[in-house]
This record gives sequence, structure tokens and C-alpha cells, in this order.
Amino acid sequence: MQRPDWAPDTIDIERPSVARMYDYYLGGSHNFAADRAAAQAMVAAVPEAPLMAQANRAFLRRAVHHLADAGIRQFLDIGSGIPTVGNVHEIAQQLDPQSRVVYVDVDPVAVAHSREILAGNERAAVVQEDLRNPEAILAHPDVRKLLDLSQPVAVMVVAVLHFVSDDDRPAELLRTLRDALAPGSYLVLSQASDDGRSEDERAEAERVYRRTDNPLWVRSRAELTALFDGFELLDPGVVWVPEWRPDTPESAEDAERAVFMGGVGRLGD
Amino acid sequence: MTESPGATPCPGTFARAWAKAVSGTSYLPMTQAQLESLLDRLTGQLAGALLTEPFDLRAGHRVGAELVAAHIASAEGLGRTVEVIQLRLVRDLGLVAEDVEDRMARLLAAVATGYARALRDRTLDEQESIRRAAMRARTQAERALRASEARFRHQATHDPLTGLPNRTLFTERLAAALNEPGRGAQRVGVCFLDLDRFKVVNDTLGHQIGDLLLATVAERLRKAMGEHLVARLGGDEFVILVEHTAGTDDMVAVAETALAAVGTPALVDGHELQISASIGIVERQVAGANPTDLMRAADSTLHWAKSAGGARWSLYDAERNQRELARYALSAAIPAALERGEFYLDYQPLTSLRDGSLVGVEALVRWRHPELGVLRPDSFIGLAEETGLIVQLGGWVLAEACREAEAWSAGGAAAPFVSVNLAVRQVHRPGLVQEVRALLRQTGLPPERLQLEITESTMMSTAEEPVRALRVLADLGVRIAIDDFGTGYSNLAYLRDLPVTELKVAGEFVAGLRSPSVGRTDERILASLVSLAHALDLTVTAEGVETAGQAERLRAIGCDAAQGWHFGRPAPADRILARIR
Repeated sequence: MQRPDWAPDTIDIERPSVARMYDYYLGGSHNFAADRAAAQAMVAAVPEAPLMAQANRAFLRRAVHHLADAGIRQFLDIGSGIPTVGNVHEIAQQLDPQSRVVYVDVDPVAVAHSREILAGNERAAVVQEDLRNPEAILAHPDVRKLLDLSQPVAVMVVAVLHFVSDDDRPAELLRTLRDALAPGSYLVLSQASDDGRSEDERAEAERVYRRTDNPLWVRSRAELTALFDGFELLDPGVVWVPEWRPDTPESAEDAERAVFMGGVGRLGD
Repeated sequence: MTESPGATPCPGTFARAWAKAVSGTSYLPMTQAQLESLLDRLTGQLAGALLTEPFDLRAGHRVGAELVAAHIASAEGLGRTVEVIQLRLVRDLGLVAEDVEDRMARLLAAVATGYARALRDRTLDEQESIRRAAMRARTQAERALRASEARFRHQATHDPLTGLPNRTLFTERLAAALNEPGRGAQRVGVCFLDLDRFKVVNDTLGHQIGDLLLATVAERLRKAMGEHLVARLGGDEFVILVEHTAGTDDMVAVAETALAAVGTPALVDGHELQISASIGIVERQVAGANPTDLMRAADSTLHWAKSAGGARWSLYDAERNQRELARYALSAAIPAALERGEFYLDYQPLTSLRDGSLVGVEALVRWRHPELGVLRPDSFIGLAEETGLIVQLGGWVLAEACREAEAWSAGGAAAPFVSVNLAVRQVHRPGLVQEVRALLRQTGLPPERLQLEITESTMMSTAEEPVRALRVLADLGVRIAIDDFGTGYSNLAYLRDLPVTELKVAGEFVAGLRSPSVGRTDERILASLVSLAHALDLTVTAEGVETAGQAERLRAIGCDAAQGWHFGRPAPADRILARIR
């Protein structure tokens, strides 16, 4: 991680990217052979992988809907990946075209792709930065230009925190973000959880992700709940993502198969 | 075509079943209700297509394409769609048509075709778009890499304090200027510039001010030199590379511009600093030149400018350089020459002006050089002093003089003292007293027969140690003489503290005694010196006496002794001995 700041990224599409693997799980074709091979290996290890991605993306959609209904018009989506179907700006700007969205991702290809998708959208931008460097995210000129941090912002840390190791102190990263937010802001958080999983399954999933630049760090419900420190958790708390305010009762069935847990917290006044 | 009796058409039921079938086949960015409503509309289109005459394949294509557009875009999505339509569409909607099976097959084929086409297009579009993104990211990364390499290269070739090119870049540019093919006939020049007394700025105002001053100087040089490369080699050393010169005049003009730029008073952090610089100029043909020689020549030339007092330029002079190299070679040979016994002493008489007797002799070192013949001290002593070899050489002279002089007393009559020159470094050495004591003990020479000649400059330093050492030696009975008196700073204060026995008056005053007009002044100076010396109980020896007339006038003034060709040239010890006997 401690690359000198003058050393640029290298682009190696022979190496699987977690952003493009995720796109593959969602049924997209924004991926290369190496991404598909890794994603297929993941599916072999954890057959629910595509379901997990879809459930997580549906959680994101419902959360954005809910926050937009609650009056939020600013979104900071960190770890946004390949912003294809049903991403934050599509949902938020459909509800209110004035909504402002800044995507942040560390993957240069994902960022380049996002930039193309967002071309001409004056109220959305993408920033290449690392979740592990929240100060740089908050200070980025595009973030400063589009988002008014004196007003409530929804910070989305969806399906990315399992790529942040405990050594990188995720709680501190989130605290840094929280301290920059105005009262009434929200944190939307989800990540892979090992609750109820066998040791074998977890080990195999971790093995797949070791081929990428982003090894996997699964966390328990208790650990995830602790990460909402300073926020008031909205009902129903930290749950398997299909259980978070489902569209229909049926869609929350077999929720633990989704592997992802998530929740939404509000920063009090 | 008619609806079948008894069945209630119910598109909603079918749409719900369809929605359920495709759920989870890919990510659908919509709620279940939105999905059902979409599929309900498509159900209407399918039903219409099944019943309309003539049968229109395009309706099936459209439905397939719409499914993909709504992100129901996976192989499973198509499979389940085909299945649910085949199984339930006719039944749920209560559709009745004679050739319904036939039409259904064609409709499903059309839906699948439309779907596959749309999915293929979509896949290709997405592949193209992600590839474009990867390419753009790579271009950007390469651009960033180039920029960072450029930045790295800049850092590696520039001095962070002044922003000027550093030694590395200068060396590259100089090598390029000398090596570029087809430039053999051209000329190139460098100005090697060093600030005068820059250390004083650092020592008195601090390094911070010193650094600011360097930055100011750098900026001025950069502006004044225009297209010529100005580099900082380190410390307060700068160098200017001038390509395509027409001759030394060009370089002199550059050097003068640089001196003027540096010489303007600089306001640095509230201090007005007046600084000057010295410059060594080398200008030569590119052909046959190499960077190392050129920079070495520039460095030597800079030292000439420095030793001439600074605030000036010097032009490289090959002959002078050759002479200096020869001198250097000579000095380097001193230690070996000492070992091989190539040095020997001559002695020049110091004669009493009262009775013509020989009161003493001055020991003068000679070098019988195997290639250059006999060398006089002026060709190697200065160098030995610069390099520090004087301590070794002077020590040998002192020891040899004591050894030889001791033997002279065997003659019976009052033997002359031997006068030996001590260099500044010898006097300032801690072990001087012990060295002299040991020599006197080993040789048996009585202390009063040894005279040490020191120059006025020896006493210019404020150190107390040399004074104490000389006092100890004087207490032993050793004579102390001030050599070349009257030509240095002639600070009389030390005469108060030092146990001086004798003043040796510089030959140039004596030389003046030859011509009557100038002689008047010199004679008065000499007379004053003699009366001053006598008032302080010191004896006076005049050096450089060449004529009987000079000797006579010195005697009239009251000078005690004299030395010079008139009284005898330097000669080996046995010739001196012959004189005593």
C-alpha cells in the first residue's frame, strides 16, 4: 500500500479485478477473461456468489431509495466499482435530478469506465482514491466541488470493506469519514460475513481473492455493528442484506445465502 | 380466432409467474412490482402477436430486445422466459387460435432471436466499453509514469536548494558537448565559479541565510547567463557551460557578466550582503578535449583567481599549469629524497661589522635532485610549506645543522652559532621544545650556538603555545631571531612578549643603500630600526649586503652584523670551517 506518491498504478488486465468480477456476478460483460476465470472459481467455491452480488446490489438500491425518500440529495459512494446497472446516480437522479453523486474507486479501469458513463452528467463525478485514505477522499477537489459537507451526505461503503484488513483499521477510516459529515448524514455499510459459514468455504473464498489485488476479510455481525459507532442504526439494524427492508416478504427468504450483511446508520443532530 | 369458453383471461397471473421465473437470473435494478408491470406490458404484446393476422415476427423480436434492455439479460433469463411462455401464456390468458401451436413455436423463435441479438449487441458493447476504459486507464498510467519518471529525472539532475542543474546534469551536458559527432572543429568553455569567503556568511549569519544567499546567487546567474547552462556543483561552487565559443574573449565576457551578477549587493532576510566570486575560465577546442581534464583545468584556474585575492576571473594558462604540476611532482618527491639523503646544507656567514669576525652562519638547505641538479630552497620550500612536508624537511635541516655545527667548536676559537629557519608549522607544532632539547642533548651543541629564525607572520596568530615554546627555548639559551624584519606587518607588540635576541633586517632596505636618492629613506629606516633594536637590547643583522659601500654605511648606522655576497656566499660546512681556523 505504501507506494511512493510519484509511482503510478500499473494496468494489468491479466490480473483479476474485484470490480470486474462483481460485474460478472451481476450478469454484466464489463470484464476480461482473467476476471471471469476468477469469478467462476469463486462460484465453484461459493455457488451463491452471483446471488450475493445481486442481493447486495438490491440492498444498495433499496438503501438509496430510502435515503432519497428521507431527503438525502448528496451521495458519496466509496468502492463503487463498475457503475453499471442500477447504480447510485441512476436511482438518486431518477428520484431527483438535482441529486449529486461522487463515486470513489481505487481501480483505475473502473474509474476510467465510470468517467465514460458519467460523461455529460454534471452532478456526478468519479475520483480515483483508496478507501484506506479517507483524508484524500474528503479533500479531493471533485468531492469538494460536488458535495457540500455542511449538508447531510449519504456515505456508501457497500461491498468493499471486506477488502480492508484489520491492519488498515477500518473503524478509524470510518471515524475519519464520520467526523467530516454534517448531522443528518448517513452511513450505508455492507460486506461479506462469515456468520454461519464453514471454515472450508471461507478458506476457499479467501484463496480465490488472493489472486486479486484485494484479499478478502470477512467479518461477523458484531464486528459490523461496532463499525456503526457514532451512528444510530436504522431498523432492522445489521442484517443479511435481503432482510434489510425487502420489497416483498418472499425476497427476504433464505437471506443468509446472500453472505453479505449490511445496515444503514444515521448521524444524530 | 376466438377465446376459449369457460376460461377467464388473466394476464396478471401470467406476468407474476414470469417475474418469478426470471428473478435471480441476473441483477434487476427494479422492484418486484416494477418488474411485474414491465412483464405485464410485454405479455400484452405477446398475446397480440399470437392472435394478429398476419403473424408478425417483429413483435417477438421487440419483446426479446426489451427484456434485455430491462437487464433481464442472461441465458437463464431466456430459458425461463421460453419455458414460462410455452407452458402458461395460452392457458393463463385463455387464448384460442386454430394454429396456436404453430404460432407459439414461431413466436418463441422470434423472442429468442430478438433476445439473443440484443444480448449479443449488449455484450459486445460492454466488452468494447470496458476495453476502452482499460486502454484509457493504461494511457493515463503511462502518462503518469512518464510524468513521474520526468519528475524523478528532474530530482536526480537538479539541486533542490537552488533548482539549478546539479553536477550529474552538468557532467552529462559537458560530455555531450564534447562528444557530439561532427562538432570537432568547434570550441567550448566553462566558467568555474566559487563565492569568496562564503564560509564567513555561514559562520556569522547561519546556514539558513547562507542557503538563501546561494539561492539568490543561483537565480541571478540563471537570469544573467540566458541560454548557457548554469549548474551548482555543491557548496558555493557553480559552473557555467558555454557552447560554440569563438575564443577566450567570449568566455571573459561571460565571466564578467557572472561576476557583475554576483557582485550586486543582495538583500537576504533583512541583511544586505555584498559578496564576490572568483572564476576559473577554460576555453578550448572540442576536438581532443575530455571532461575530466577540462574540469581539472577549470578547478586549478579557479584557485589562481582565489589566490590572487578573489573577485576576479583567471584564464587557464597551460604553461602555468605545467609549472604547477612540476612543482607538485617535486613536492611529492620530498619524502623519498629525504630517505635517499638528497638534501644537504650550505652555510652563509654572518659577519660582525665591528671586527669582521664570523659570528654565525645561516644554514640553507639544498636538494641534489637526480634529474634536475642542485635545487635552491625557493624552488621547493614554498611547496613543502603548503603541503605540510616542511615539518619533516625542516626537522631534518635542524638536526643536520646542529650535528654539523657541533663539530666546528673543535677548532678552538669561538665557534659561530648556526642559524636555522623555522617554518610557521614547525613553530606551531606542540613537540618543538622537546625536539630542540633532544637535538642539543644528542649532538652536544651548546644552546647559545643555535639560533632559530622565525618570520613575523609566525607570530601573527593569537595562539599562546608558540610564544611559550619560544620562551622555554630562549630560557635554555637558544637565540631567537626575527627574519625579514620590516617587510611583514611589523607589529611591534610581540617584541614585548617574545624573548627575541636578534632582528634580521630584510635585504630590500639594504638594497636601497646603493642609490643615493632612495637610499636616504632606507638609511633612515635602517637607522631607526637599529636604534629601536638596541634600545630593546637586541642585535641587528642586515641581510643581502652585496657591496663594500653598503657594508660601510651599515657599520656607520651601528648595525651589528651583516650577511650577503659581500661577506660570503653560501658554501659547504668545510669551507666555513676553513674560515674559522
